[in-house]
Amino acid sequence: MAIIELNNVTMTYGRGTRGRTAVRGVTFAVEEGAFSVLLGPSGAGKSTLLKLVLAMERPDEGTIRVAGRDIHRLRKASIPYLRRNVGVVFQDFKLLLDATPMENVALALQVLGMPRREVRERAASALARVELDPGLRRPARCLSGGEQQRVAIARAVAGDPPILLADEPTGNLDRRLSYEIIELLQAIRERGTTVLVATHDPLVLDRAPLSQQIHLEHGRLVSLSDDEAAIEEEEVPEILPASWPVAAEAVA
Amino acid sequence: MLRPFYSFVYVVGRGMRGMAQAPAVQLIAVSTIAVCMLLLGVVMLAWSNAQGMVQAWGLDVPVTAYLIDDAPPEQVDAAMERLQTLPEIESIDQVSPQMAMDRLSAGLGEDGQMLDGLEPSVLPASLEIHLAPGTDPDFAHALAERLGPLPVIDEVAVVGDWAGRAHDLVHTFGDLALGAGILVSLACMAIVWSTIRLGVYARRAEIQILRLVGGTRRFVHGPFVFEGMVQGGLGAALALGMLYLGFDAVHPFLESGLSLVFAAGALHFFTPMELGIGVAFGAILGLLGSRAAVARYTEV
Repeated sequence: MAIIELNNVTMTYGRGTRGRTAVRGVTFAVEEGAFSVLLGPSGAGKSTLLKLVLAMERPDEGTIRVAGRDIHRLRKASIPYLRRNVGVVFQDFKLLLDATPMENVALALQVLGMPRREVRERAASALARVELDPGLRRPARCLSGGEQQRVAIARAVAGDPPILLADEPTGNLDRRLSYEIIELLQAIRERGTTVLVATHDPLVLDRAPLSQQIHLEHGRLVSLSDDEAAIEEEEVPEILPASWPVAAEAVA
Repeated sequence: MLRPFYSFVYVVGRGMRGMAQAPAVQLIAVSTIAVCMLLLGVVMLAWSNAQGMVQAWGLDVPVTAYLIDDAPPEQVDAAMERLQTLPEIESIDQVSPQMAMDRLSAGLGEDGQMLDGLEPSVLPASLEIHLAPGTDPDFAHALAERLGPLPVIDEVAVVGDWAGRAHDLVHTFGDLALGAGILVSLACMAIVWSTIRLGVYARRAEIQILRLVGGTRRFVHGPFVFEGMVQGGLGAALALGMLYLGFDAVHPFLESGLSLVFAAGALHFFTPMELGIGVAFGAILGLLGSRAAVARYTEV
């Protein structure tokens, strides 16, 4: 079953002669439990596609469905409920630099309305999953690039979202740290999370057990390769909560 | 489900931490709001006391028709019905001797004991006739002339023309209070709006992250709105506190120095209910100002 579906999606930044089309008529689907990668050089439209899936941008044409729902037809008030089900690792991490790793991860859990004790436990568990010490008291600005990347991943997976989007997760890291991050993403995928990574790092292609490669250039889809056998071999657990992707009351 | 409760706990906690992060800004905002609210409080208190004096002197009842002893109730009712048909008359209150005695006793305050043992029947029953706003003062005299010959009426008293001027004074205070209320409301909202906007700017990274990880509009706005409400409420409370201290210091001098105008204890401060409304009013202004600030600056 496709968990993310893009159908003939076009998106332009700006209007008129100054407009720049970032994505042109892109169509593809990501299967549930897959490890998919969006490939292409800088400016190919990878980050824009991730923003579209997260409803940070709206397509000019086409439809984007997440778990069968056209996300750009959702009411504005329903978008937060979509985002709670889509973990995201940003290229620039988007961490609170004066906050500790624990506080950064806790932020994603506090929006879910959890009690403080549960927030602490789950944040500590998420940090442990990315092999960071939950008791680390240093602010994020004092962490290395690799550590900051791990905090960003821990925050993205802390709420156990069914989908994880990662924008250039190895972009700023050396080879050894990149391997570690790829292994981490693979471990997250093995827990049943669908992973969609945007990258131009060939290391990801070499090391990650990819289910699907989506090649983009100048905003157009140039090739799409599915490894359906790999997907079928994987035991994908039923992890979607009943309320996924949007709490029922938020859609009404 | 306790989720809304935990979200509320977060909103309050984050709002308080946000205020603690910029104490100087908060202090300036609360003090400025307090000064604005103090001005409003002075006008409101003057208005309230002017109204009280007009009532205490009976100026709010331009025509009082005293009834004869043992006036037949059906004749009194018939007279009231006829009066009610006149458009110049807003309302008529029938005051029994007991009610008159109670009022007199309350008006005398501690000296009310002097009336102990006195029968209420020594005081006449009366009809208090309130005229509609804008009625010509001469109407009161014309009405008195028409009421005088009625068999149930013993005597008619008309408050002098100066009562109209006292009413005008109260209306002026009322208009001033309204004008000051509008100006102060706008000023307070502007103060809260600008301080919250500073807070939003300082915490813009956090706001963006909260929106991206699924924070609802209410969750993201909540701490700022809480902050605005606290600013407004604290400002109002501070203003009322200062006003009370000022009133406490000044009113004995006013009452003794102008004893012809003010009877002892004639001046009053706001009631606890009015104080509560004042603080709530400040909090509501803070809510409106902060909502206006976050609505514009927290979109992702």
